Amino acid sequence: MLENKVSISRQTAVENQFQISRRAFLTTSVLAGGAVVLAAIPMVSIVVLPSLKKGTGKWVDFGKADKLPPDDFSMLSYEFMTKDGWIDLPQRGFVWAKTDAKNGVKVFSSTCSHLACNVIWNRDTRMFECPCHTGRFDPDGLPVAGPPKKPLFLLPHKVEEGKILVHITL
Amino acid sequence: MTEAQSETTEQEPLFAAAGGGLAILLKVEVPADAICWHRFFGAMQLALLCLLFLSGGLMAFAYTPVPGTAYDSVDYFQFSLPLGNVVRGLHHYAWNLLLIVMGLHLLRALILGAYKAPRQIVWISGVAFFLVIPLFIITGDLLPWDQKGYWSTQVRFSIIASIPVVGDFLVQLFRGGSLTGIVALTRLYVLHILLLPCALVLLIGLHLYFLATRGISGPLSDDEIPRPKALFMPTIVNRWLALFILTAIGMGLVAWHWPAALGDPADPTDSAFIPRPEWWVLFLNQLVAIFKGPFMVLGSAIIPGGLVFLLGALPFLDRSPERRPSKRMGVMVAAAVVLAAVTVLSVMGYVEHFVRPEH
Ligand code: HEM
Ligand code: FES
Repeated sequence: MLENKVSISRQTAVENQFQISRRAFLTTSVLAGGAVVLAAIPMVSIVVLPSLKKGTGKWVDFGKADKLPPDDFSMLSYEFMTKDGWIDLPQRGFVWAKTDAKNGVKVFSSTCSHLACNVIWNRDTRMFECPCHTGRFDPDGLPVAGPPKKPLFLLPHKVEEGKILVHITL
Repeated sequence: MTEAQSETTEQEPLFAAAGGGLAILLKVEVPADAICWHRFFGAMQLALLCLLFLSGGLMAFAYTPVPGTAYDSVDYFQFSLPLGNVVRGLHHYAWNLLLIVMGLHLLRALILGAYKAPRQIVWISGVAFFLVIPLFIITGDLLPWDQKGYWSTQVRFSIIASIPVVGDFLVQLFRGGSLTGIVALTRLYVLHILLLPCALVLLIGLHLYFLATRGISGPLSDDEIPRPKALFMPTIVNRWLALFILTAIGMGLVAWHWPAALGDPADPTDSAFIPRPEWWVLFLNQLVAIFKGPFMVLGSAIIPGGLVFLLGALPFLDRSPERRPSKRMGVMVAAAVVLAAVTVLSVMGYVEHFVRPEH
């Protein structure tokens, strides 16, 4: 009789312990989850959220529109200060302006539509040439050779008080 | 051997190691008397160090170690990034609280004789934290490049330089030259976020490894009753996790309500700015001030260095197995005298720098 009782109570003890440890492990998961969430909140707000900010555009003044050589392509270089995180840094680059007696002015981005090298206008071949993977674009910015599949970006521009302004997005 | 068998044996080592590690961890037992209020300090230190690493790692995402720009980056972090204020505040309050908790952790081990055989090595690895953590603080202090950090660093450098023979060399080594400029800032930055964290992680690992292999000290009563056991996982781990969560939320609220100070940008030409020593070095500053001229080295190196050395050597100076404080009056009195001296010097320093700051 006594033997029996002892063994029964021993068994329930083991079962109890099992129950307790199951509950404790559940607690561990909840607590660990809580700690991870707690640590993740500032990670999102400090590392992820600021990365999602879109670049802002800016109208850049390139001087008198009638100074551009007619029926030709000219490189317009710019340099201006932009807030980069916590400091103001100079941003440099250039765009291509195409003057055309019939169609007026067009402004092409110099960024190759393949992998973002700078394209250069070649007067002799009358093509935009990309030095990186020999991409070629025609005078309308359409891809004609090499890996690029999309045309060069056309940038919005306007003429105000005789000055040409180009909208550049960084 | 069949194909299936050979496959399992090929994959086994990795899984076996991971599974085996977990299985060992699941079986680890600690004496149930490990759960008591005065052993809370160790867990608290772990929670605070986790917070320091997390908040510091986040601050490093928006920090540039360039004089002037460094200030802008900390300002941007604190005031332009969402929760930046809370994270910088956490970093600030965590090291302040860590110093206090470290003191209490040491005091407990000292009073209860936890440094005695076989735990001498646990004690020594613990004393080493008191060399590493202050280095974290004095390297971190310059990083925001504000007036307080810049001028406190200048004061610290001149105190170190006053140590005979090696002083000047040490300062040049810290600064990478004779200026406190971009080279110095970069050196302190690399120390703060690369070398010292590595040293600290190593030290934490050693401390816990020694603790696990030497075992925690038992109750003071000498009767040899078997001690009841508790499982490390989940019992102890759950407490650690809960402590981390409570500390993070509590200190986060404090940081949110009382933002960490960011003074004016450092101005090396400003001679009017007088940095006040921080609370934890008041006694050292006072010690340096007491010994003048050729005796300055007593206050700046020999006495503090000697005290740290004696502290580390304590297990070899007090070797009896007796752990009850009432039977170890020599150690208790010596500790009380040192504690009283530090307190008196701190109060003197407080009065000098904060109550009558015109001196
Ligand atoms: C890997 C761990 C750590 C990293 C990556 C880190 C990173 C940083 C960074 C980027 C700063 C500059 C931003 C600011 O001043 O608020 C800083 C400041 C600071 N850090 Fe750390 N840190 C770490 C651990 C620690 C530890 C363990 C301590 C001390 C126990 C500490 C003490 C300080 C101090 C005193 C400052 C000055 C900021 C203040 O005035 O409150 N850091 N840390
Ligand atoms: S980037 Fe221009 S061709 Fe590849």
